This record gives sequence, structure tokens and C-alpha cells, in this order.
Amino acid sequence: MKGNRRRATNAIEVDFVARMLVLGFLVGMAALFFVYLKNQQHAVGNKSRLVEQELHEYEARNMALEARITSMTSRGYLQRKLDEGYIQLEAVRDTAVARITPPVSAEPDGVLRTASREPGSGVIAGAPQRILRR
Amino acid sequence: MKGTTGRIGVVCALLVLVFTIFAWRLIHLQILQHDYFSKLAAQKHLRCQPIPAKRGRILDRNGEELAVNIPVRTVTADGTHIKDPAALAAIAAPFLEMPVEELVGKLSPAVKGKRPYVVIKKEVAEEKAQAMIAAMERARLRGLYLEEDSVRSYPNGEMLCHVLGFVDHSGHGIDGIEKSFNRELSGQDGFRWIEHDRKGLEIVTYRGQEQLPENGSDIRLTIDMGLQAIVENEIESACRQYRPRSASAILVDPQTGEIMAMACRPNFDSNKFNEAKPEEMRNRIITDMYEPGSVFKIVVASAALNEGIVSDRSRIFCENGLFSYGGKTIKDHHKAGDMSLAEILQYSSNIGSAKMSLMMKDQLYYDYVRAFGFGEKSGIPLQGEISGMVNPPRRWDGLTKTRMAFGQSVAVTPIQMIMAMSVVGNGGKLMTPRLVLSRGEGSSPSEMPPNRQVVGEGVSKFISSALQKVVSKEGTAPLAAIDGYVVAGKTGTAQRISAQGGYQDGHYTVSFAGFFPADHPRLVGLVIVDDAPLGEHQNYGGLVAAPVFSKIGARAARYLDIPQENTVAQATASSNQASNR
Repeated sequence: MKGNRRRATNAIEVDFVARMLVLGFLVGMAALFFVYLKNQQHAVGNKSRLVEQELHEYEARNMALEARITSMTSRGYLQRKLDEGYIQLEAVRDTAVARITPPVSAEPDGVLRTASREPGSGVIAGAPQRILRR
Repeated sequence: MKGTTGRIGVVCALLVLVFTIFAWRLIHLQILQHDYFSKLAAQKHLRCQPIPAKRGRILDRNGEELAVNIPVRTVTADGTHIKDPAALAAIAAPFLEMPVEELVGKLSPAVKGKRPYVVIKKEVAEEKAQAMIAAMERARLRGLYLEEDSVRSYPNGEMLCHVLGFVDHSGHGIDGIEKSFNRELSGQDGFRWIEHDRKGLEIVTYRGQEQLPENGSDIRLTIDMGLQAIVENEIESACRQYRPRSASAILVDPQTGEIMAMACRPNFDSNKFNEAKPEEMRNRIITDMYEPGSVFKIVVASAALNEGIVSDRSRIFCENGLFSYGGKTIKDHHKAGDMSLAEILQYSSNIGSAKMSLMMKDQLYYDYVRAFGFGEKSGIPLQGEISGMVNPPRRWDGLTKTRMAFGQSVAVTPIQMIMAMSVVGNGGKLMTPRLVLSRGEGSSPSEMPPNRQVVGEGVSKFISSALQKVVSKEGTAPLAAIDGYVVAGKTGTAQRISAQGGYQDGHYTVSFAGFFPADHPRLVGLVIVDDAPLGEHQNYGGLVAAPVFSKIGARAARYLDIPQENTVAQATASSNQASNR
């Protein structure tokens, strides 16, 4: 009877159980890692969306400011400010002008002459006077 | 024992049944109805986000910005995300610059009807829109969203309005360069497929197909805003002084055909085009035709000289100021007997010009008129250009030929007239007027070949020297003279055509077309003053249009730093002396 009972007992296969446990652990870890990576991916995606949005806002703000600068430095606006007396024109001294064409004698009626530079030198060609703010 | 096994069997069978049902349901959802549910999910979470292309800028030849974009936002509401419209309106209304009640009135129907997309306000400034979103976040409210948009702005307002044109509310060019180059300026919108969560925020991980926008190209014009400002300023002064029905002025580089400045009155503000009247929006330089009067004498003189019908030594009898032809009398202001070709132009003899036309065969004369560019579109890249009116010889009556010689029975546009005057200034070549220097970054300005050689270089030089005398004290336009420069030009005074036929008494279109420095012209200019309420003896091209030309020319010469004639002579002499040493 004793012998029979002993025969009926299932032996625990430690190796197999250990392998399964390790495998289970590894699969579990891989799944957790997958979830972690997925979360990270979402978090990074969200961060990049926020950065994109911020960048976009800066770009839009920059464009708005550029348009405002363009409008405030336009000829029409400057002429209006000149008429209102907020800005004034001051003649460039003859000695401060680098000439690329033969010099033109100053007119007796006091009319200002223009300064001229090569187009593409970074200075607007023919910019006649310097603008001073009061 | 048997009963236990039976119960276990029943439980197992139930479990198998339950799991089979679950499995079947899973297969049903995931496989059999996959398409349906994916579509449903896509409808809820997937959308195509448009990425608008930026419209290209319009610049002058020196890079000065003439048309730019201002980013603005369109505020939209999602009715399914709003729980308390009143609270949301109280936060957002000040930023949207509208009364709270009005905003509640817009939000409430969206909430009740669960409408996911309702436009609340367009063209909200970027800063205000961002401030509104920040305020909503602080109050933990949602339901209002921002969409990208932009509005076109013309920093110089009325200046150059007829050339630039304007765009409509959807950003399509309606007039001017904005219309002619709409395709290049618009670019191509992009898109991006995105998935969003229940808050409406994009889930970047699931970002789908994306096509970046192709921004519009910048258009660089041949216009020089420095010169444009001068022309606008002087034409405005002329309008204040003479109060004409309309006035136009244009400056062209005769060597290249590049339009340097172009202005008309009345005009309008491109930023407020919806407030403009139709007559203010017409670019009269290309859409209006007029009888050019004596300016047209350059055509018959050049043609006769080029064909050898007259020479620089020929003398034509000018009938002492009264010439009867075809039952009508042609009169001259300056009564004289024999006159040379140069004198005919200098004193603007109608009789001399008519007689020259009579020396030419009808078809030949007509061919020359057409060769100067009259009766056909000049090719300027602006919409609405007309061809003018030049009748072929078969439709002429007995007087047409002689009338055409001094600018009657023919109708031209200002752009045709200035390009014809350029023929005299540039050695006989008809140029196509050029308004665009380059398109897009990296494209370099290319030279445009002349349209055709109309007359020989010698002929154009002779006519030019004759036109210099027009601007002398003995000529008809001494007031067109510019200190320090030799100017060549021709006046024109023509009665206005009546809508009922014939001419309007006491109503004149006066003009002056000329160029300087006469030997190597840098600029050709045309000034037209139409129907100024002046006395009959004051309303002449030489008295009204010529002084305007002179003022524009003097300021333009200083602006471009064109060396004065005496200065050039001095510089040449001193360089010769230096080389002799």
C-alpha cells in the first residue's frame, strides 16, 4: 500500500518549474517593458507635440512682429510720422559719403543730394537721409 | 464520485460555452466587423489636419516688402466639449472683443445641437488667441479651439495699389500682381493625418501620412519704391493743384523695359479694398485709352525718316499755319513756312506732321504705327490690359491719315505711349514692359530681349536730338527741363472724346512724355493729366504735365545719383588730363 502511494505521488520537476518561472518572469518583464516603452513613446510624443506647438506659436508671434515692424517702417508710416514731427531727417555730411559715381556739386537752393551705394551691399541703394528719432 | 465528476463536467461545459461565446464575439468584432468598427473609430479619432502654405511676399527691386502676411487665428467651438457655455463665454469674450451675451448666443446652440465645429470668430490676433487659451486652461475649461489663418497686409497702404492689387477673404488674388501671379504666390497646402484623444489633443504616436506644404514664392518687382514714392508724391501734388478727373505717371528704364514706378489717381487702399469705388480701382495706365495728341508725332516722324521719305535736311512747307485738306482746315499754333523735321517736332506742327503722313503709303504708315506697339497689348503682366484702337487703312476716311499724324483718330494706352517713347530713347528697339524681376528665392533676374527693332539707331538718335529742342526755351515744353540734365520729350494736348461722339469742348487730356539724360537715357517718363478744370489757354501738356515731369525727373535724378551732364564732362576732361600726364 505504502509502495503504491509512493508510486502515485507526482515528483516535482524543479528544473522544469524553474525554467517556466524564469520564462514567465522574462515574458512578464518583456510585457512590462513593452508597456513602459509604449508609455514613454506617448509621453515623448506628447512632449514633442507641445514643443511643436510652442515652436509654432513662436513662429507665428515672430511673423506677427515682423509684419508689425514692416508696417511701422513702411514709407507711408514714416512719412506720416515725419509730417507729425515724431521723426526728423538729418543730412548726411558730404565727408561721410563714399561715392561710386562722380561727385555732384551741392545745389545752391539747399536741396539735399543722395548718397548712393552698390545694390546688394546690404544698404538700400540711394538711401537719401538718416532717420533720427526725437 | 460519479455525481462529482458529472458536476465538474457541467461546470467545464459551461465555462467552454462562455469562453466560446466570448471568443466568437471577439472574432465577430475584430475580424468580421473590422472594417465597420475601424471606420467608426476613424470618424471619431482620425482627421486630416490641413497645413496651410504661406503666401509669398511681394518685394520691390531692393527687397522692400510690399505685401506680407500677418498670422491670425480662427476661433472655433466644439459643442460636445462644452459643459457650461456661460462660464466659457465669460472667460473668452474679452479676448474675442465681443459681448458675453453674443458669445453665449453662439455657443449655446452648438452645445444643444452637439455640433462639433462652429466658427466663432475669424481673424483674431495671434497674441489674443493664445492669451484666451491660457485663460481657459487656468479656469479648467475647454471647447474653444484655434485654427491657423493669415491675412494679407500692404504696409504702404495706397502706394502702388494698382500694381499690387489685393486678395479676397479666402486668400485668392483678385487684382494686380496678386492675381497675375496667384499660382506662384499661393503655393500648395500640405496635410497630416492625425489621431486625437477625447480631449481633442493629437496622439503623436499615431501620426499618419504627412505632406508638408509648399510655400508660395516671393515675387520681386522691378518697381523701385524710392522712385515710386517720388512719383506718388508729385502726382498727388499735381492733383491737389489742378483737380483733374484722373492723373497717371510712369517711369521706365528704356534699355530694359523695366517699370520703375507707376501711379494713378484716383487710387485706393489695398488693405481696405472693399471700401474702394470701381473708378478708384482702375489701373488707368493699362485699362484706359486716350487720344495722345502731339506726342504721337514721334511715330510719323520716325517712320518717314526711317523709310527715307524725308531726311534731316528736308524742309516741308507748313502753309503758314493753315492747311485745307479733305474739306477741313488743319491749324498750327506756331505759324511758319518751310520747316525742317526737327522744327516740326520742336514747334509741334500739325501741318508738317500731316504732310509727312501724306508722303507715305497708307499700309506702310499703318505698319509703322503697329510696329511702335499701338493697337496691341504691350504684354505687361497685369490683368485688364486693353489694346487701344488703331483702325486699319480699309476703315480710314479721307481725314484719318492726317489726323493720326498728330494723335487724333487713334486711341492708345499710357503704357503703349511710354514704350513707344522708349523706342526713341533706346536706339529704336521696342521693349516688352517688365514688372517682375524674379520669382522665388534663388531665381536670378534674367534679361528680356527686345520685342523688335522698329527704326534704325540713327533715326532714333535724330528724333531724340529733335525732341531735346522741344524742351528748350523755343520749344513747347521748356517747363519740362531738369537742371543739370539734357531732357528730350514731347508734349501732347488732346480734346477729350465725348460719349455721344465728337469731342467735348473745353475738356482736354494733356500729357508729356520724355527721357533723360538725352544722350544715354536712364529713365523715360510719362505724365498724363486728364480733364483738369483749367482755362483753355492754360490747359496744355507743356504747361500742366511738363512741370510735373520736371519735378519727378529732378528728384529721380538725385535719388539715382545720375551724374549731371557738366559733371560728366568735367570728370572726362580730368581723366583725359591725368592720362596725358
